[in-house]
Amino acid sequence: MKRPLGTIAGARSGDKGGDANLGVWVRDDDAYEWLRGFLTVERLKELLPEAGEVSRYELPNLRALNFVLHGLLGDGVASSTRFDPQAKALGEWLRGREVEIPEEFL
Amino acid sequence: MIRIGNASGFYGDRLSAMREQLEGGELDVLTGDYLAELTMLILGRDRMRDSSLGYAKTFLRQMEDCLALALDKGVKIVTNAGGLNPEGLARELKAKTGAKIGYVTGDDLRSRYPEALTANAYLGAWEIARCLEQGAQVVVTGRVTDASLVVGPAAAHFGWARDDWDRLAGATVAGHVLECGTQATGGNYSFFTEIDATRPGFPIAEVDEDGSCLITKHDGTGGAVTVDTVTAQLLYEIGPPEYPGPDVTTHFDTIRLEEHPGGVRISGTRGSPPPDTLKVCLNAVGGFRNSTTFVLTGLDVEEKAALVRRQLHDAVGADGLTWTLARTDQPDAATEEQASALLHVTIKTPDPQRAKGFSRAAIELALASYPGFHVTAPPGDGTPFGVYRAAYVHRDEVDAEAVVL
Repeated sequence: MKRPLGTIAGARSGDKGGDANLGVWVRDDDAYEWLRGFLTVERLKELLPEAGEVSRYELPNLRALNFVLHGLLGDGVASSTRFDPQAKALGEWLRGREVEIPEEFL
Repeated sequence: MIRIGNASGFYGDRLSAMREQLEGGELDVLTGDYLAELTMLILGRDRMRDSSLGYAKTFLRQMEDCLALALDKGVKIVTNAGGLNPEGLARELKAKTGAKIGYVTGDDLRSRYPEALTANAYLGAWEIARCLEQGAQVVVTGRVTDASLVVGPAAAHFGWARDDWDRLAGATVAGHVLECGTQATGGNYSFFTEIDATRPGFPIAEVDEDGSCLITKHDGTGGAVTVDTVTAQLLYEIGPPEYPGPDVTTHFDTIRLEEHPGGVRISGTRGSPPPDTLKVCLNAVGGFRNSTTFVLTGLDVEEKAALVRRQLHDAVGADGLTWTLARTDQPDAATEEQASALLHVTIKTPDPQRAKGFSRAAIELALASYPGFHVTAPPGDGTPFGVYRAAYVHRDEVDAEAVVL
């Protein structure tokens, strides 16, 4: 079923110099298995086309994935001309994107 | 167990939080984080104007209001509010309160990076611990890692060794959860509709001898401490699961969270030796910036944007201008706001006069541009902007020092 990712996933994002980080987590182990397979770097870049080079890390203990979006913020928050120079709402943008979510998790 | 609270997640956080934490229940130590990459730049500009400044002034006000209460309750205060001038803040506090004040110096590396406005190594927990062992009632530091504000008091309290990697890593996780204040207790939380997020209480970590902890908050405060609120904060501003720090490398993929009647238990965290290098936060003035937002309403939005862009380029030159057209407009809209798109333009230039001239050029278009011309707010005179960069130095080249007044 096509639903916003945020229906089942939480997220928090922020800045580290010119990079942004974006953590995404779900609330049970089955949903994490799905998320881990679904939210690849390629998929993230499809959902957030403004992303350039992206690293992805798995944190199964937190049922979370952490993405680092390299260079998204240029020379850092004080210099960035981005609409959201500290990447505070990047996670909420992702949560608002509609994706195919298996019905059992809804 | 040592009970460590947090009363600030940034320079500008809730001023009354210190009093709320002191009056709300029992604590051993109250910490406050006032520094971020951007804050170092702001303090650097303060220091340029007046070399006696460069610290978080709001902390001084909080201390004038609350230090007597803290001393009365036996609560120690540990904070990085010293910013670029921990000694200055410590002397000011000493003069104003007479309490035993410790401070940590040695992070300032401007002599090594003369081109930078600010250059500060991220120091660790051990100088904080030293100050506390020498009886300091308040400890102010400059640039230490945010988590050190929690690791230092825990290490001093339990007498941890420098190679107690798992304990140090456990306390680092507690510090990471606390460092952004209410972001651990339901602030800025994705599932905010499930809790009462109106006025989240500030977080507390009850740290045990083995480095594990219970994240909690005072009874009767708002927000929530759940596995989800804590997970959210653990994911904030991290990179790979091996999280390097000055005192320990913390393995975020070993953290275990468990719901607990009083909050959330954190255990299982593993640590390993830290890197040989310390991270350095460098800020330089990159130039001057100015910006404005044109509102484009109704028809021909792309053409309207093209016209104003052409006009501004003719007036100030295209160099250093960044344009973003946000198509927030809807066709056949029922409200004027829904009919409007936003055209943001920012100028970045080494020349302050050009940054200032940008405002005049934008405003001079007011009767000579696209139909419906207006801006969301008139541009100002322009401001300097910082360029942030991280560097790394060998830890032997940094002399961190603990002083107690």
